[in-house]
Amino acid sequence: MVKKRKVVLPPELPPDVAEEEVEVSDEDLQFLTENRDYAGLFRKLDTKSITKHVTRIANQKEDDIEKLYEKRSKKKLLEKDNVKDELEVDPVDVLPVKTLDGKLYYKTAPKKNETKNIEDVTEDKDDGIQGSVVKLTKAEKRAKMKKSRKEAKKQAKEPVKTEDDVQENPQAEVLAEMKEELSAEDIYARKKSRLAELGMALLADPESNIKFLKEMLQMCKDGDESIVKMALQSLLVVFKDIIPGYRIRLPTEKELEMNVSKAVKKMRFYETTLLSSYKVYLQKLVALEKKSSFQDVIVRCMCNLLEAVPHFNFRGNLLAAVVNNISSTNDIIRKHCRTAIKSLFTDEGKHGGEATVEAVHLIADHVKIHDCQLPPDSIEVFLSLSFAEDLGKPQAPELEETVKNKGKKAKKEDRKKEKASNKKRSRKDLLDNSREEVDDDLKATFAPDALERRRMQSETLSAVFQTYFRVLKHSMRPTTDRSTMHNSHIHGRFGTHPLLAPCLNGLGKFSHLIDLDYMGDLMNCLKMLASGGGDSESSPASYLTVSERLRCCIVAFKVMRTNLDALNVDLQEFFVQLYNLILEYRPDRDQGEVLAEVLKIMLCEGRQHDMQRAAAFIKRLATSSLFFGSAEAMAALVTLRELLQKNAKCRNLLENDAGGGSVSGSLAKYQPCVTDPNQSGALASVLWELSLLSKHYHPAISTAASSILSINTANQVYLATTSPEQAFADLSIEQESFGSAKQNRKRKHTSKSFILDDTEVTQYSGDKEDLQKRFSDHFIVLRGIAENERLRRELSHTVSSIKFYEEYKNQKKKKKGVSKERGQNK
Amino acid sequence: MRALDENETTAVFEKLFKFTGNNLKNIIEKPSHEGPDKTPGRYCFRLQKNRVYYVSEALVKRATNISREKLISLGTCIGKFTKGGKFHLTVQALNLLADNARHKVWLKPTSEMSFLYGNHVLKGGLGRITENTNVGDGVVVFSMSDVPLGFGVAAKSTQDCRKLDPNGIVVLHQSDIGEYLRMEDDL
Repeated sequence: MVKKRKVVLPPELPPDVAEEEVEVSDEDLQFLTENRDYAGLFRKLDTKSITKHVTRIANQKEDDIEKLYEKRSKKKLLEKDNVKDELEVDPVDVLPVKTLDGKLYYKTAPKKNETKNIEDVTEDKDDGIQGSVVKLTKAEKRAKMKKSRKEAKKQAKEPVKTEDDVQENPQAEVLAEMKEELSAEDIYARKKSRLAELGMALLADPESNIKFLKEMLQMCKDGDESIVKMALQSLLVVFKDIIPGYRIRLPTEKELEMNVSKAVKKMRFYETTLLSSYKVYLQKLVALEKKSSFQDVIVRCMCNLLEAVPHFNFRGNLLAAVVNNISSTNDIIRKHCRTAIKSLFTDEGKHGGEATVEAVHLIADHVKIHDCQLPPDSIEVFLSLSFAEDLGKPQAPELEETVKNKGKKAKKEDRKKEKASNKKRSRKDLLDNSREEVDDDLKATFAPDALERRRMQSETLSAVFQTYFRVLKHSMRPTTDRSTMHNSHIHGRFGTHPLLAPCLNGLGKFSHLIDLDYMGDLMNCLKMLASGGGDSESSPASYLTVSERLRCCIVAFKVMRTNLDALNVDLQEFFVQLYNLILEYRPDRDQGEVLAEVLKIMLCEGRQHDMQRAAAFIKRLATSSLFFGSAEAMAALVTLRELLQKNAKCRNLLENDAGGGSVSGSLAKYQPCVTDPNQSGALASVLWELSLLSKHYHPAISTAASSILSINTANQVYLATTSPEQAFADLSIEQESFGSAKQNRKRKHTSKSFILDDTEVTQYSGDKEDLQKRFSDHFIVLRGIAENERLRRELSHTVSSIKFYEEYKNQKKKKKGVSKERGQNK
Repeated sequence: MRALDENETTAVFEKLFKFTGNNLKNIIEKPSHEGPDKTPGRYCFRLQKNRVYYVSEALVKRATNISREKLISLGTCIGKFTKGGKFHLTVQALNLLADNARHKVWLKPTSEMSFLYGNHVLKGGLGRITENTNVGDGVVVFSMSDVPLGFGVAAKSTQDCRKLDPNGIVVLHQSDIGEYLRMEDDL
């Protein structure tokens, strides 16, 4: 058969229907789709021809090819009309499928043919159709066609002739079913493939096919939501691809009046169409955005567009929509918007920085309108802004340049005057002059670039800081008037001051860019916030959380540190705040990382401290590390050691005699409750906490405490971790594993006193083998308990089933008794 | 020796307040452990021959035994009233102020000597300054190792200090511990 096929195939290659195929128009297609019955008729005829053809081939066996040709041509002539109709199925498809018998199959035709040929295959075909429903792109369609071709081949190979007669009736039934099934799906699939075709055509040659955009836009108005979504998405892809790398400027009327070449006309038409359809598309997006079912798709489209073509027209509208959505309650939408805007900020090359300015302004306005009640994401995006610091420098040379230019111009004018007076100037000179002018023009077009960027940057910065200050000021306001605000959902999720944390982060990051003039105000704000937020101390609701207040301290120090290398300012107030905040800190409620960072920035990195203050902090840290969790305690201890190493006088605290004598100054007594560290008189106290901490259940802490205790005798104190942040991170990771073990131990010693437990635990940690042994014992016991429980469950189960059975028996007996009674009664 | 009258008290307290702010309370309420009494007494201000002394109550009681002409000094002298009726702090008040100072300035080691000779503190000699110092505030001057050196009045706020050139005056000199040598007779 294979041979036969080979023999048969070649003559069929040039299909005589090729011309008709070209002529087939959309109308025909429509006709076919509208009048299915006609198509059915043709199909019937068609199958006959196919089957006949196949049988003929089978019968012919090794006959000469010429005869075959003759027969075929005759048949073709007879069936030509039918074939023509059959071929009118899908004219847009350029590549038909050709089966063995030389028929050209188009998208819809082969399906039906095959379903008729063999009933068994219908199911497969169904699958194929179903599969095609999902497909969209041309490539996939092609793949589908390949598949169908393969199947067609398969069918051709199979001996169909015998089944032929039997099939006639079932064929009709199956067809009817198929038609019903397909009608809905088919329309859907058709629309989809239409979309794909349009999209492909647009991508292949946007200039000539630009009118398809309108058709695609039409499909956006479809009743079917999924079609609309698909249309929107495919339009997105198309726009992303065909939008040029420049901004389109529509020709003015004057320009339109002018006579232009054909190419320019074409280009203009292309651009105007593109622009108008883009506009319509955006309008559609904005209009549909309100519908909740579309929101996700729409936002994704907009974000994608913003990322891909931030330079193009209507950027403002797009930006506004995206910025509006950044405060959405939906996490996913927010995330999309955030990434879009971040990408806008990070690659400014695409749009030259203008979009950044616009976006920042929009966000600033957004924050203003919503009275700072937005999810933190909206400000977090500012963190990805980047400001070139060296932009400030080129200004100076530029100025010089402009001065030079001016000089040149002046010279030029002089020269012109000269020229006027001296007309004998050579032509060459004139040329030189004009060249110079052109050069100047060139410079003028390029020079403002840096200046422009500088201007934009300063604009952006001012907007950013304006927002930051607004948030700060807002956080300082008492909450009383805010409690009635409508957007309480944001309160619930992000605390009363959702924007404060990102705002503080941003201030920390851009602190080096703040103008010195604002510094005083900023510091005052931060001071207020650190002291508990706002002037109205009476209302406890206005209090910020401890972490937020600690953050304020951090930011203040960062701002100071980055700005003031020249002047070393002592932030007394913030130390006072920190001194009190350490006591307010609760290990589980507040963020330990922030505490560790504060300790590092304020106490470890600070260059110098008052002796009194250092002593007060040492004392307080030691006291609080008694009730902190182990990670925080470790951070505190590292800081404490740092302080002790820096302030040699404070080591008096480690001596055993209370009352620091002359060192303690005028304050003879330690007052733990004083708010000002300078007034605490900590030098008069003793660090007894350390010896308690050296019995801490956590081995790392106990070793750290004991090494600090020996700081006076051993000059070099060795601790593995150097910064409180690192110490905190290390221990908090360790805690994960340590915590479970700790719990087990505690459970074991519930009967004993807590202190006993602690000491024992420390003993264990010293002896690993012992620990392991005890653990294994413990787990054996645990396993035993589990086994016991299992057995008991089984037992109760069997007991209950036995009971059940007995009950059943009893009931049976009763029934029997009843029936007997009945029998007797009868 | 007598207690201060109302005007004098306000003058003294206003001056002290410039340096210590709210810590003035600590100066007044500071308990004294002098004398045989078990319960700690208080400190009070006494005027003797135009000079104001910061004295514990126990000492005041004992000093009453000495006649006004014969009494040269008692407790800690913190300042004196000028002929015009103004109150000036003297260097002996330094410890009291240093313990309760609100605004501090730390000097670089190189400029310590200059200050101790009675010169003003220049920006170049400034090692560290408390945030938020305003013009006219009383400032206690420390060495970098936290030894109080003297006190003065801020000539520039912290903000302005940043833009100041290195030769600008930051703190106007009022008194320094060099006076113990230079003005031994006056004290």
